[in-house]
Amino acid sequence: MSSFSRSAQQWATFARSWFVIDARMQPPGKLATMCSVRLQGKHKPIYHALSDCGDHVVIINSKHIAFSGNKWEQKVYSSHTGYPGGFRQVTAVQLHSKDPKAIVKLAVYGMLPKNLHRRTMMQRLHIFPEDELPDDIRANLTEELPQPRKIPRKLSEYTQEEIDAFPKLWIPPENYKMQ
Amino acid sequence: MASGYILNRGALTLGIHCQRVCRSVTVTQVREKKRWMRAYTYLMAKKLKLEGPPPPKPRSQHPNWDYHAEVQAFSTRLHENFSLQLLKTAFINPCYLQAEQARRQGLGVDSELTALDLKNNIKLSAKGADFTKSFLIDWCRASFPSLPSDGVQSIVGHLSSSAVVTNVARNLGIEDLTMSEVFPVPDDVLHSTFMAVIGALLESSGAERTGFFLRDFLVTQLIGKDLFDMWTVVNPMGLLMKELSKRNIVLPEPRLIRSAGASTVLPLYFVALYSDKKLLAQGPGETIVAAEEEAARVALRKLYGYTENRRPFDFSPQQQHEQPLIQSVSSS
Repeated sequence: MSSFSRSAQQWATFARSWFVIDARMQPPGKLATMCSVRLQGKHKPIYHALSDCGDHVVIINSKHIAFSGNKWEQKVYSSHTGYPGGFRQVTAVQLHSKDPKAIVKLAVYGMLPKNLHRRTMMQRLHIFPEDELPDDIRANLTEELPQPRKIPRKLSEYTQEEIDAFPKLWIPPENYKMQ
Repeated sequence: MASGYILNRGALTLGIHCQRVCRSVTVTQVREKKRWMRAYTYLMAKKLKLEGPPPPKPRSQHPNWDYHAEVQAFSTRLHENFSLQLLKTAFINPCYLQAEQARRQGLGVDSELTALDLKNNIKLSAKGADFTKSFLIDWCRASFPSLPSDGVQSIVGHLSSSAVVTNVARNLGIEDLTMSEVFPVPDDVLHSTFMAVIGALLESSGAERTGFFLRDFLVTQLIGKDLFDMWTVVNPMGLLMKELSKRNIVLPEPRLIRSAGASTVLPLYFVALYSDKKLLAQGPGETIVAAEEEAARVALRKLYGYTENRRPFDFSPQQQHEQPLIQSVSSS
């Protein structure tokens, strides 16, 4: 229990935190779940839907997100330009190559409540395709959020000793010909 | 001819307005739309707007007011055994006596024939104020043993200040019973009347009962109050340094432990004070300087035992419950 003065207590209560999350090899949906909670302020005990108490979230490495399955080819982002025949459908690969922020942004946008606060909350989401941040945003940061998915190691990242020590189900005979 | 017409008309209207119910009773009532009502309410509203609301009248000028019964009810309501003579004296202020003398002279009453032999409450008030001050100082010393005398003085000053005391007095209904020159009763007069009531209680029931009365009605005003709301400390860091050096603790070292939004217009900094690598206190603020000052205040609150999570004050009634307990022990 703190014994802060009332003005200081209030200032600390209503201050906005700045979270940073690394999107490298993370599924956009799980990122968006974490972000939308923070942007709405639902992780706070003072949360109320009408009080604008959301925090800022900075997403870095949005270019290196990971989709599972064959969502890169199969997932389709649709939009309409408003003109006759203006219905556009692009796959995730095409959208990602055009704008590396768009997939994460659309995922978060879709998870926020559909009301007049949605655009305001989106303004508190800062997405960067690489891990370089401008100085003014770097100065604001408060804490880093844990990544929702544990990044699997590639085979090239294992050392030879680790590969040799890996338990084998079947030891090939001497004269076994590998293809 | 004209006079006959008027007479006739008068008789006619009387005939309309007064209906004979039976032979001897007549009821004056008009069963029609009151067309004068609209103009009248309009006029009254306009008068109210021009002149403002009427000045407040003391309860004693309203009907059904029995001063003796009210004074008796006052002491019964508080569960105190006031001597009624003293209590009545406590309500009589010198300004009222002067005004009453002047009023009687203006009316031409002979001052020697019908003398106004009332005592005023100056002595009682002085006695009550002295007792209140000494009781509050003792109570503060007992409750906050590590608080320095400056802090005790400011807490006592706050509790016996005009604002707190008049608020308590108004809510106890002392204002209605106070004999004062003007109404509403001015704050200083109400303050001295409250102190006189304390003095009257002191003379009637003794110091212990009066102490409980003060504890229940005046000290409870301290609930929810912050120490530094009452005690203005300009340089908390200097005071903290002084206190720590008095207790032979290593002087604190401020460190920035958390921050958010440093380049925005709403930045937040948390500064912690470490003394010999141990956390003394931490405090938030809009700037680093403000946060450091806040941390010093938090450290002072911890040193003085005036934190938010301290044990609540004990305001429980005690003297009634002790009696049967002792009896049961002695009988068994």
